[in-house]
Parts: sequence; C-alpha cells; structure tokens
Amino acid sequence: MTRAAAAVGRIDWTVVGLVVVLGAVSVVNLHSTSMATGTTVYLKHLYWLVIGLGVMAAVAAIDYRNLQRMAPVFYGGVVLLLALVLAVGKEVNGSRRWLDLGFVGFQPSELAKLAIILTLASWFQRVPRPGGYTLRDLIPVGLLLGVPMFLVLQEPDLGHTLMLLFIGGSMLAYERFEKRAMLSVLLVTVLSAPLIWSFVLRDYQKDRVLTLLDGKADMHGAGWHARQARVAVGSGGLVGKGHGDGTQVAGGFLPENHTDFVFAHLAEEHGFLGAALVLGIYLFLILAALRSAVQARDKFGGHVAVGVGALIFWHVVMNIGMVLNMLPVTGVTLPLMSYGGTSVLTVMAALGLLLNINLRRTVF
Amino acid sequence: MSDVYLDSSAVGYRARARRLTLVAVGAFAVLFLRLGHLQLLEGDELEAASTRNFVRTVVLPADRGTIYDRKGRVLAVNRPSFDLYVTPAQVKDLDGLIAGLREVLELDELDLVRLRERIEEPRGMWRFRAIRIERDIDRKRVAVAEALRARVDGLSIRVRYQREYPEGRVGAHLVGYLGKPTASELEKDVEGRYRADSMLGRFGLERRFESVLAGRDGFERYVVDARGARQDDGWGERAMAAIQSSRPPERGHDIMLTVDIEVQRILHDALADYESGAAVVIDPRDGTVRGILSKPSFDPNLWSGRLTTEHKREVDESPYHPMLDKSVHAYFPGSVYKVVTALAALEEGILDPEEPIESPGSYEYGNRTFHCHKRSGHGSVDLNGAMAASADVYFYKLGEALGIDTLATYARRFGFGERPGLGINGEQSGIVPTRAHHEANTKGGFQHGLALSTAIGQGDVRTSPLQVALAFGALANGGTLYRARVVDHIRTEDGRVVSRYDSKPVGTLEADEDHILAVNRALERAVNDPELATGHLAAVAGGRVAGKTGTAQVRKIVRGHMRQAVNRFQDRDHAWFAAFAPYEAPKLVVVVFLEHGGSGGKDAAPVARRIIEAYHQRIEQVFTTTARNEAKPR
Repeated sequence: MTRAAAAVGRIDWTVVGLVVVLGAVSVVNLHSTSMATGTTVYLKHLYWLVIGLGVMAAVAAIDYRNLQRMAPVFYGGVVLLLALVLAVGKEVNGSRRWLDLGFVGFQPSELAKLAIILTLASWFQRVPRPGGYTLRDLIPVGLLLGVPMFLVLQEPDLGHTLMLLFIGGSMLAYERFEKRAMLSVLLVTVLSAPLIWSFVLRDYQKDRVLTLLDGKADMHGAGWHARQARVAVGSGGLVGKGHGDGTQVAGGFLPENHTDFVFAHLAEEHGFLGAALVLGIYLFLILAALRSAVQARDKFGGHVAVGVGALIFWHVVMNIGMVLNMLPVTGVTLPLMSYGGTSVLTVMAALGLLLNINLRRTVF
Repeated sequence: MSDVYLDSSAVGYRARARRLTLVAVGAFAVLFLRLGHLQLLEGDELEAASTRNFVRTVVLPADRGTIYDRKGRVLAVNRPSFDLYVTPAQVKDLDGLIAGLREVLELDELDLVRLRERIEEPRGMWRFRAIRIERDIDRKRVAVAEALRARVDGLSIRVRYQREYPEGRVGAHLVGYLGKPTASELEKDVEGRYRADSMLGRFGLERRFESVLAGRDGFERYVVDARGARQDDGWGERAMAAIQSSRPPERGHDIMLTVDIEVQRILHDALADYESGAAVVIDPRDGTVRGILSKPSFDPNLWSGRLTTEHKREVDESPYHPMLDKSVHAYFPGSVYKVVTALAALEEGILDPEEPIESPGSYEYGNRTFHCHKRSGHGSVDLNGAMAASADVYFYKLGEALGIDTLATYARRFGFGERPGLGINGEQSGIVPTRAHHEANTKGGFQHGLALSTAIGQGDVRTSPLQVALAFGALANGGTLYRARVVDHIRTEDGRVVSRYDSKPVGTLEADEDHILAVNRALERAVNDPELATGHLAAVAGGRVAGKTGTAQVRKIVRGHMRQAVNRFQDRDHAWFAAFAPYEAPKLVVVVFLEHGGSGGKDAAPVARRIIEAYHQRIEQVFTTTARNEAKPR
C-alpha cells in the first residue's frame, strides 16, 4: 500500500460527506431563489462549491506544519489587505468590505478569520507555558487579535469584528490561563461593555440590539427583516411549504433570502425537518473539529482545529440566532448555505485545515 | 490524559475540549428548541402572518336590508355611493393628478396643499394603501372623475352603500341610524363580521335587528408580492389554491313594520308646537303599533356617517335631549293613572260607581294635606264625575282604602312595571311603587300617605307613553293586554317570509266586564261631559272619543294657578292625554305626552284630537262604520 493510498484511507470521509450533503441542500435551496427572481444564483453557488472542494482538498494535502511556518506572512498579508479595503474598497450600503478584483468581488475580512486561527495557533505552539499563560502573555495575543479587529470595525463590519473576537476567545478558552489573567479578561470585558456601547457601536447597530430587546420592534429596516424571517420560519411548520412554494421568498417578503436569511428560506420551504437536519450537520462538524483537536499531533494542530470548530460554531449561532430573532441583525453568513464566493471558499479552506489535521493525527 | 500533544507538558486539553463540546451542544440545544417553538408551537400564528403578507382581500360589502312601513313604503334603504381614492404608489404624475382633482372637487389652495401632503406622506408599504380623498360624490362629479381616471394613474372610484332615510327626522327614533363599530366591538367581533369602516345599527330598529339587516360581507382575494403586484401564476397560483378565493356577499333581510309612514307624519305635525314629548298610536285589538315618535328628533341621514360638528353640537347642547326616545322612557303619569285606581276599587268591591263621594279641594291625611288640582274642589261626585273632572280627593280616598300594594297588583295587570316589548332604545319598565319599593328607596321609609299620591299617578309612579297606550288598549278591547308589536314580518329580498311576528297577548286585566265598562264609560265622560269634562278639547265632531287627561306635577313647590306661570321648562308639568276611539268599538288608542308641556286638558288633549281626526280622514274612517252600526235599530 502506497503512502498516498493510506492517506486517502485516513481522510475523515464523514466530514467530506456531510460537506457534500450540505452543499447539495444549499444548491437546491438556492434553486428556489433562482425560480423566484429569475436569476441563476444556484448555478453560481454550485460553481463556488466545486471550486471550494478543490480548495479544501488542496489545503488538506499540504502538511499543516508547513502552513504554520507561513502563518506570519499570511497574517501580514491579510492586515495589508484589510488596510487596502478601507482605502480603495467598493462602498456598498455605507460600508467598505469588498475589494473589486474586476471579475469577482472579494472580502478580506473573511480571510482575516483564517489568519487569526493560524496565527494564534502558531503563537501558542511557539510560546509554551506549562504553568498556564499569564497576564503579560495576553498583551501579544491581544495585539494579534486586536489589529485585524480594529481594521474590520472601520469598514464598518460589526459582524465580522465580533466573529474575530469570538474565534480568538474560543481558542483562548482551549488554553490554560492563570487565575489572575482570567479574572482580568473578565473584568475588562465587563468594564468595556458600556464604553463599547457608547463609543464603538454606530446608531443603526444599537438600533438592531434595541429592536431585539424591545420585542415588538420598529417595523422598518432591520426590525422588519427580522420579523419577516420569523414569519418565514414559523409558517414552514413541520414539513414546510415545499420547494419553490415558500411565499415569503417567492413574494419577496423575506429580504436577503439567499444570503444572510437563507436559513429562514430553508425553514419556510422544508420545515422543521429540513432546518433541523442542517442544524444537525453543523453540530456534527463542530463536534468533529473538537474531537480532531484532542487527537492532533501538536498544539498548533489542536488550536487550529478548535479555531475551525469555533468559526463554524459562531457563524451558525450568530446567523441562525439572528434568523430565529434571538440575536441582533448582523451580516454574518451561514457557512456553505449562504450564497457568496469568499464565504464559501473561506469555510472550505477551514474545513481543509480540519481534514489536514485529522489526516496527520497521532491518536487513532 | 497528558498523552495529548507529545511536545507539551501542559495538561487539561481533553477536559477543556469536553467543556467546549458541552457549550456547543448547549447552544445548539437552544437553537433546536427555538426552532421547534417557532415552527411547531407558533406555527399557526406565523402562518397566518405569512398569509396576511401575500393575500390581498377586497371586501364586497353586503347590501343592508330595507325597512318598510306597513304599506311597503321605504323607511331605510341603501343606495350606492361613490368615493374617490388615491393610491400613492401608483401615482406617476402628481401635479397632473392634483390639478385634475382640483377641478373635480373644486378645492381651494389650502385644500390642495393638504391633499398633496396626504399623498406624499405615506412611506414603504403604506404607499400601496389607497387614501380616501372624498366620499359620496354626486353623479356629475363621478363622470368628471371617471374622465380624469382615464388620463392619470393612481386615482380610483369605489362604490359602497350609503344608508338613506327618506323620512328624515320623522320617526327617527324608531328606525334608528348606523355608525361605525368601536374598537372594543371590533375586538369582540370574533367572526370577523365587521371592519373599521363597517356601518352597523346604532339606534332604534337598525340596532335591534342588526343581525337580520346586516347580511354578510363577501370578499375577493388574490395573491400579491412584496411590491403589491398581483401574482396569478406559479407560486401565486399554488398559494391561492390553499385559501378561499372569494365569497359572494349575502344581502340582509328586509323588515316590514306595522307602522304607517302617514301616521308618523300625522304625529309629527300634531306635535309641531311642542318642543319635547312623544306620541303613540296603537290598535287596541292586537297591540299593533301604527305610529310612535319622540320629540325633538334628529336627522338619521346625518348621523349615519355624515355627522357634522354643528349638528352634533346642536344635539348635544339641546335641553330637550333629542337622542332620548321619550316614547319608551318612563315619566310621572299623573291622572291618566287614575284608571288603575278606579278599576282596582271596583274589583276590590269598595266602590259603587254610581255613589257620589264628597270630593273637596283638599284632604287631610295624617299630618299632611293632600290638595286637589282645583282648590275649590268638586263637591260630591260619582265615578263618571270624578273621572271627568279629575277630582283628586275622590281618588285619594280610594287610594287610602286600597293601600299601595293592592294598587300595585292592579297596575301590573295593566302592564305597568314591565317592558312593553318593543326592545329598542333602552325601553324602560317604569316604576310601580309598593311598600317594599318605598322601604328600599324613600327617605324615612314607607308612609301610608304615599298610597294617596300613587292613586293619582304621582309619588314614585313612572310609566312610558307606550305603556300607557297598551294599558288603555286593554281597557278598550275589554281586558286583554298585548305586547307592543312593531315588526310585522322579516323577509328575504325576493319576498320569502323568514319570520312573522304575530300579536301576542301577555295577560288580562282579570276584571269583571262590567267594571271595565264602568271605567270606559267614565273615560267617555271625561271627554264628552258638557260641564265637567277636563278632556273636552279632545272631542271630535263625527264620533265619540274616550280618554283621560294627565297633568303630572314635576316640582312640588309649584301649585294651582301658579303652574302655568312657570317659565323654567324643566319645572313645568308633564301634559298627558290617553284616548281611544271610537268609544263604541275602539280601533285606535292615542297617547300624547308633552314633556313639561303644561296641562293635559289644554295642551295634550287638542293634540290627541288632531291625531284622531287626521287618522280618521287620512288613514281609516274609524267613525263612519260605527255611526252606521249605531243607526241600526237593535
């Protein structure tokens, strides 16, 4: 048996299989959008998924320890791109998130998530603290996390800023810290909350939070979107209205039904059964990532796996939490389900990292 | 445990991974529960919200039933009315539209500014909602508006029904009017019969028979997308399949009354000189109401949706309470109540109608003096004389002998103290005072003197004009008390009778025929006695009328000749006259009640005469047949 054949046998085919199922569901789902709007988003999404599978395979193929060496360069490049997007990015709806590459738009903030995962993992690998990380160690970690967060917040893109924070935070939660350090993080979080509310959040962002807390919501803008998502989800019932017959989608009552609110679209047409299936797949992927983390060959691999798990987790929780009217409206996509090239490629690359780590584990 | 990460001496990764796993599973559990909650528990409600999104319902209003008088003449009817609407989202040339509307509606500059604001103001989905610019435009303007509609976008003309009352103020209390439902009524309306712009019966028969008259609105539904564009194919067609697409409106039923428009006009004219009061005409043979009205009246055409502030203020500020239906409201009856006392005394065997009783100007009872309306008194009179002259002391003595509870027993046989059965406008049952009533309601409790006041229709006695009419009807027909009957039958538009309201006896006077005759004879004297008759102004030339005056004291301080000098309306006496005719074979009962109208004999009696005469001339010759019968030798 050749080494390659052995490697193929060791690939986590369950993860690959679930990714393919998820991709198939999303293409079917977007086909309904295409029927309603007379566009071909489902085909474009299919192309991106196919390209994404290629990216996933490529990322899985390179030994991740080589990637570890590349991490600082990647990080530096992403920070430059984030700065570049602020300068020359395409302005859409009052924010600059896109770099126009001529044939395709591209969001550097998506790459920033991968950069954070790789960079923090690599830092933890390089700076071992058997007795637990100290308060002073938080300074470099904070800087590595803070610079891209700050740049993304300037776009402004609150969703992605939070995403970076949550992914980084989840990775920290996988490490051991001294009590003093933990308490400090807690204290800073509590104290900074009102400051962030007053000085960082913009009015429309505050509105979205208030809308959620308010319950009945202003029926314009984000509040209206959230309400229509809730109506779409609820009206789906157990089995849904059927493919192409989701009135919220077809009638145009549910905005962004192929991107941010795609889960509402799914829930409306395929009901609790369809929505729960997709939710189950995500949970399985996250648990697979955490399992890979403890089986990883080294700390870097373990942290990357946790980071990938966190990326999927936070995307799903923030997106579906928003759709189900539990969290404020932020433009966070649903991995692989939301239409969008950069998002698909980022998630596929992250899943490639997961397969990579799994492939090169020591524990079987 | 520490076998994880061979190059690290750190421990606890497994434990922390397990903790992270728990967090992830916990968070997903919350998502699952929430998803299940929305889709399985709130599913129906949110599905309804979803349906509201894409379904547009056009209401097809039901045509309200018509109310006819006994001869098929219209009292209340729907006619089509044209309203002008603008849908902001459809307007392409606002200036052109406004210029056109200026011409159609003859608006001034200020109106134009307001109009422009109203069209420009709506935002978002509200722009798809049509705004009513003007209601009930006349035919000529409809034609001009139609022409304008062909030139500019966004204008529409909608047809709805406007209620019309051809008789206007005449008999408005009986027929009633329509009004919009209140917020709480809409809330309670679980069947969804009414919308904010529905009109429902607010007063009179319109209200009493709302469920019969209203019918059921129909609708047409279609599917729209978020922009309001109609979707008949694809998803729209499939969504439509799940909902009821249309329902034709069901017309309400028609109501045929027993009332005669002509009698209503007679009553209206007869009361012309008095500000406030009521008049009732019934057929004593079966309790059928031929005419009933209350003064002052109001214009139901204005009240049914076109009420102006001036008219509203005029009604609100009137001291005569135009919105009170005085025909079914209870007042002091005064001397018309003496028929109760007389019949009670005869039945109880304490009165010989032919025996003269001393009836001076006042009567000492206990530590109180009870006065007669005539200070000089009437000398010694029998029942005929006492009734004719309305001799109070005669009846005080009867009241003293009978006691208040015996009087009450007979009063109830006349129908007093019970609702007469019209079922409209807060119809009152009145008060038949008893010992128990006074114990409960009078300061100082019951005293025997109260029986004396009760015997002449004062004290706490209250009766409505309609009750008095039915009571006199019972005397006139020989003893049967009928329920008031105002609706003859209800039928569908094509004439099929849905329900018929036959006359219904509710009791009898339980009295000896001779005793009833004795009272009736006394009533005949009260109109026709050449010397004593207080009701002589009710006498007609061609036949014989029987009746009784009533001048009910409202304020105790005012007495005798001083009464007529009182200027304050509210302090003046109520004037009553209750009559039946012809005396020999009664065909109609007429009751005239003039609130604070002065004297029964001088004011109410002539009004009653005019009504009887007009009835005889214009409705039915009540006296001729009788006269012929009398001419026949027996």
